[in-house]
Amino acid sequence: MVKTERLAAERTEPTPGSAWLIGIIAWFIPGSGHLLLKKWGRAAVMGGVIWACFFIGVAMGGHMFDLSTGQGSSVWLQVPPMIANLGSGALYIISWLLGIGFADDPQQAARATYEYGNTFLLIAGLLNYLTMLDAFDIAAGRHS
Amino acid sequence: MVLFAAMASAVFGAMAKDTTQERWLYGLKVFAEFIVIGLVLSWILYFIPW
Repeated sequence: MVKTERLAAERTEPTPGSAWLIGIIAWFIPGSGHLLLKKWGRAAVMGGVIWACFFIGVAMGGHMFDLSTGQGSSVWLQVPPMIANLGSGALYIISWLLGIGFADDPQQAARATYEYGNTFLLIAGLLNYLTMLDAFDIAAGRHS
Repeated sequence: MVLFAAMASAVFGAMAKDTTQERWLYGLKVFAEFIVIGLVLSWILYFIPW
């Protein structure tokens, strides 16, 4: 479908409610949106990468961001990385509830892999936003 | 860097294009770009003293 046809179709056909639900579920549990859409390969690759990225980040001693300003910086500086971390959905929420990866521990920050871990945690969230949008588009019939 | 590039390019490859072959090619292209750009930037930063 060319872009003009797609835009015309989007104007005339409202997005089904199920697509929004799939999008929310896809955000909450990485890979689950594609599983519900029976896109097994994509669910395995995209979901698997996000889960692996997250756990590699935690294992490397990475730090996740919330609105606390324990490092002495402005709360506004915490917002962009927090939004990226929030992309991990339930993984972020459960870690926050359990206090895993949120402590401002100087020993943890001194680890050689600390910054790498941060990056993996940020990328896990950002890739899950992409995966969520892909699942939403498939559920809305905008691509296969 | 290689692990990061492999993971990110796997997701980009899975999302893009229409056929499996096109996805593999796109994923490999993105992977190569990550590695090449990463190495080039590393060498540029190596020579910058601040």
